[in-house]
Amino acid sequence: MTMMTDTDTTNIPARILQSPKHWRNRPFAHHWRTGDEEFDAAKLGMWLFLSTEILLFAGIFCGYAIFRLLYPEAWANGSHYLDWRFGAANTAVLLVSSWTAANSVRLAQLDKQFWFKINIVITIICAALFLFIKLKFEYLAKLPAGKAPGTFFSYPFAHDPHEPLWWSLYYIGTGLHAFHVIVGAILFAVVLWRAFRYQSYGPTQYTLVENSALYWHIVDVIWIFLFPLLYLIH
Amino acid sequence: MSQDTTNSDTTTLGWDPTDPHGINPHDDDHHGHFVADYRMQVTILAILLAFTVVTVGFYNLEQWVEVSFGILLPKWVNIAGVMSIAVVKAVLVGAFFMQLKYDKVLNTFVILFCLFCVALFLGFAMIDLDDRGLVDPMKAGEIQAGGTGVGLNAAPADPRFAVDLAPKINTGGKSLVQYARLNGNKLHPGLNAYRDNPDMDEADFWSEFYGSHATHRDELDESNYFESLGFAHHDAVSTANASHPRHGITPGLFSDVDPAEGHSAGGEHATESHDDGH
Repeated sequence: MTMMTDTDTTNIPARILQSPKHWRNRPFAHHWRTGDEEFDAAKLGMWLFLSTEILLFAGIFCGYAIFRLLYPEAWANGSHYLDWRFGAANTAVLLVSSWTAANSVRLAQLDKQFWFKINIVITIICAALFLFIKLKFEYLAKLPAGKAPGTFFSYPFAHDPHEPLWWSLYYIGTGLHAFHVIVGAILFAVVLWRAFRYQSYGPTQYTLVENSALYWHIVDVIWIFLFPLLYLIH
Repeated sequence: MSQDTTNSDTTTLGWDPTDPHGINPHDDDHHGHFVADYRMQVTILAILLAFTVVTVGFYNLEQWVEVSFGILLPKWVNIAGVMSIAVVKAVLVGAFFMQLKYDKVLNTFVILFCLFCVALFLGFAMIDLDDRGLVDPMKAGEIQAGGTGVGLNAAPADPRFAVDLAPKINTGGKSLVQYARLNGNKLHPGLNAYRDNPDMDEADFWSEFYGSHATHRDELDESNYFESLGFAHHDAVSTANASHPRHGITPGLFSDVDPAEGHSAGGEHATESHDDGH
């Protein structure tokens, strides 16, 4: 295995190559036997955190399930207010960004710094596109019409008295998810900044890239479940 | 794992104890890390996008079957269909993008345990919901008024808790939907005119409504193809079990502001939804 030590470093400016934050100069912490163990422990910690994220959304899904069973009319009505094409577009955007996130991990492992940064940039652009579609075509089209959560609800043409419940769950589910998208984008922005400034990520040091990608995949999986439950009831 | 044994002091240890940071320039950390294959990832992306198309196609297929054959599919068909596809997609993302397949099994068990907890959570909630009808008759004699004795609208115990984020609405016993309907909305001036003008036609209300409401574009039969074949929309289907929206004003909804409304709504109830293209 010669991927790590034989990478051509002639084009990297000395300022970066000698920085203690460059991936070649970043050791693993002294209390670990190997870098592998440190990485595996960090990954396990991230998986434990992702479990809590899933449980967070499980609460919202449970509320959804209960109210869908109690008020199927309101749920069918509510789903008809949503345009599934925006949901499908957002799903495609998130799936592509999930792929670029996974690809960026692979590229960090192979020390292909340029393409690594490109993939991170595409992931962040996809996050921004997701938020743009959601805010502009969905939230800003609905909130002024009165389709708002909780006591802010003032849409006069609702059929079913339980529709405000639907709207509350819609906004909480998609809003919390959008917040997670923002957090994921911030994580990747930190990775990108450190990659540009210090070239911090490489085959032996890419923990933050891996963990950010894991977080991003969970955000994607949650949207994979939110989309059919919200948009595809008939 | 094979270790590089150029340093003879470490033939029995896996690391170099004399180095405080443990850096061994010949130590290849790749033994523990799986590097994904580019083509595998692109293939998985293509499969995921295909499944998204399948999900949307399943939804549209359901709509088409209901419209063209008049079969009212049971509610669980929709849930089971789209959820199973979603589960497959989630498993693909987890196994290949998150590399659970190539990782230590512990990570997989962590997430499986989490899903088990979710299943417990939802399972018991559903069981409770299902069996509520059984509990009430049993406990009818024992139900006593509970609560703390303090009303929901009472002032908080400490003024620091009196933060009001949402507008406090007193709907006077009506539902939020009724309240919104009566108070109108800046974007729907036709509604206010209907409420305030007793001579105004209900048709004007509904023209305002359909001008702004998302219509059922999935069910549009623009060229009347199915109608020409004899499949009128929703006619032959019993609506006893339906969860599709019903149109028209609920009888008595406005009768407290418009006493005459109670009479006309009853007569129109039979033809409420069939002459507006649905």
